[in-house]
Amino acid sequence: MRFTIEHLSKNYESKQVLRDIDFTFEAGKIYGLLGRNGAGKTTLFNCINGDLRFDSGDFYFSGAQAGQSQSGIPEEAGLPGEEPEGPKGHREEPEGPKRCRAKPEDIGYVLSTPTVPEFLTGREFLKFFLDIHEGDIQEPKAMDRYFEMMGIRPEDQNRLLKDYSHGMKNKMQMLINIIAQPNLLLLDEPLTSLDVVVAEEMKQLLRSLKRDRIIIVSTHIMDLALDLCDEIVLLNHGELEKVDKSNLDSQAFKEKIIEALREEKDD
Amino acid sequence: MIRTLRISFSLKNAYRVNSILYAIRQIPLIKKLIPETVYQIRGFKIFANVLSVLWELVSAFLGKYIYFLLMLAGALALYKPSDGAKGELFLHLLVILTLIGAILNTYLLNPTKDKYYGVILLGMDAREYALVHYAYALAKLLLGFAAFGLLFGLGYGLPAWQCLLIPLFAAGSKLTVAAICLWDYERAGRVRNENQLDKWIWVLLMLLMAAAYGLPAAGIRLPLQVSLGVMGLWVVLGGPSLWRILRFCSFRAMYQELLKECLSTQMDKSAVVKLQREQSYKNISSEQGISSSRKGFAYLNELFIKRHKRILWQAALKLSAAALAVAAAVLIAFSFVPQLREKVNEVMMHSLPYFVFVMYLINRGTGFTRALFVNCDHSLLTYSFYKNPRFILKLFWIRLAEIVKVNLLPAAVVGAGLAALLYASGGTDQPINYVVLVVSVLCLSVFFSVHYLTLYYLLQPYNAGTELKSGTYQLITWATYVVCYLMMRIEMPTLFFGFLTIAFCVLYCAVASILVYRLAPKTFKIRN
Repeated sequence: MRFTIEHLSKNYESKQVLRDIDFTFEAGKIYGLLGRNGAGKTTLFNCINGDLRFDSGDFYFSGAQAGQSQSGIPEEAGLPGEEPEGPKGHREEPEGPKRCRAKPEDIGYVLSTPTVPEFLTGREFLKFFLDIHEGDIQEPKAMDRYFEMMGIRPEDQNRLLKDYSHGMKNKMQMLINIIAQPNLLLLDEPLTSLDVVVAEEMKQLLRSLKRDRIIIVSTHIMDLALDLCDEIVLLNHGELEKVDKSNLDSQAFKEKIIEALREEKDD
Repeated sequence: MIRTLRISFSLKNAYRVNSILYAIRQIPLIKKLIPETVYQIRGFKIFANVLSVLWELVSAFLGKYIYFLLMLAGALALYKPSDGAKGELFLHLLVILTLIGAILNTYLLNPTKDKYYGVILLGMDAREYALVHYAYALAKLLLGFAAFGLLFGLGYGLPAWQCLLIPLFAAGSKLTVAAICLWDYERAGRVRNENQLDKWIWVLLMLLMAAAYGLPAAGIRLPLQVSLGVMGLWVVLGGPSLWRILRFCSFRAMYQELLKECLSTQMDKSAVVKLQREQSYKNISSEQGISSSRKGFAYLNELFIKRHKRILWQAALKLSAAALAVAAAVLIAFSFVPQLREKVNEVMMHSLPYFVFVMYLINRGTGFTRALFVNCDHSLLTYSFYKNPRFILKLFWIRLAEIVKVNLLPAAVVGAGLAALLYASGGTDQPINYVVLVVSVLCLSVFFSVHYLTLYYLLQPYNAGTELKSGTYQLITWATYVVCYLMMRIEMPTLFFGFLTIAFCVLYCAVASILVYRLAPKTFKIRN
């Protein structure tokens, strides 16, 4: 399965943040999205996730698993306004039998600041999520099993989420985003504010999740990107650009990335 | 001093001009015509400067005119004093209200942004800065009170010298209260933030307020000589107070303390967000044993309502109790003042439009939708599944039922109260009037509930930082207020207006439902 972005552009008034982006991501890999402050990483994620209207372009899944998330959640049809957020007036379906527009349930989006419904307990939040996806999730597990998977202790499961620590909220957010097994998982600065133990657990979890799925991690931390990610993609001049690692050792690769990012600023 | 005056006023003008330009760029449609480079375009700058100067004039004169008109002249008219007593009553109200104003707003101890910018950020001489601005504020006060003191005072038959005592009294009271605060700071190190007054001061203010408006209702007022004596005393006290203020040297340290909170809340956005979040956590009940046997969105909604019972239901319960008390008080008053019956009956039969505004005021729609966003949708809208069109619509209907329920309680009390008042005040030949009264009040309640929830779903005005970001939303809520306010001026037979109301509400609900069904799946998202 592949996730392709085609001619994606987004302007904030006269400022062109995303310039006619063309890029294809492949399943089974974790992509590290690097860019300088204000480069448009969050804008890109928000466009993909349907939170932000973009000016032109399209994105779709293609390949064997395209068309439904791995949870088996069916595509919604026939309801008003269901088409993903896109350029005004652009409603054409992409051509080709295996190309399928990205739908909300195809995408999991984990924000840097974990946002969870604070008035629910961890268990209630999970129950609510499982309730509304009843029959949609392939091989659902018992709730205890999910908590166990994330390392959330039984005594914490019945506490209100407002009383959870930052790391635990992050785990809860991640859990909800991965139960439905979306084809594409977007993570915005996922490990920045976690303590070392939780950060390591999360890294392990992400590695275990990457099979048959595309994971894009936006980060400012170069070492994290190099440690966790299989590919490094720069958001430079509003365009996505893969950094080729061939024949470079780790230090040389780092320098190449920094050089490329520095160029942007110097332009 | 002159330099401080010049710099601080150009600074104040600069951010006021930028605020005006920013505000203009928030207006729907107009914002599309104005480029983002507006802040550097000379023509726009000049235009905003003109508005800024106008605003300064308005704040000096119009504000005070409205104050004199509403708080003094308007209130005075209600007591219907004889011509000879008007001047005395005017001074009674003015003396007490001016003292309240002196406590509530000293100018000197108001933690404003311009003090923060000037003294803390730009490091200007705090004493000079404070005194220059204080002198300017007092000059505006003197001018405003002199103009309207004369205008209204002469109108009530006071001699000119008494009218001219008014601005001196206002300035004297401000100076004295400010000097007391500075003295307290020097003596005990206490900084009095006038936006966070001590509860005892509030009690004092309430007592003064009761004395201002309550005593005349009971036929008591300060004798003219007493009012003049009090005014003269404060004028005299103003002299040494001014000297005390001019001698005060610790403005820098005091402002540092006073603006500490300003520093951490007004200026630092993330701190504001954090503070709001902590505040919203306090609204979540941690009570044990709250649960729900429902499933899915009904489960989510039930838990939300149960854990936010205090903020969602408390106001509705209080309003219901207040409405009940008012209705009971009027019913009791009928026994003591029989002539009241006729007037109330007239109101019940012809002033239903008035209750559009009353229903607007008691509706908890905006509070409800804000709670929905801050404590629920703010987090859940970041999850893809929550934005599924089917789920959005499902939750909309569940919530609509809930908001209607919350608002129906006070509405039912108001409706029943009105019907009871109509009956007790002599009744009507057409019994259908009772039904129309109750049903139209209930319809209005449903209308406002639908209105606010629809607006919320169609415009979702908040951003991730829970700030209200939609100009259109603000414009519509403002227009709602204006329309409801203007309704008070309409007089129409209850039966006719009631049927119109019911028809309008039913039609509006139908249109709103269709709009939500068609558009909400696209519009219900976090603003960027």
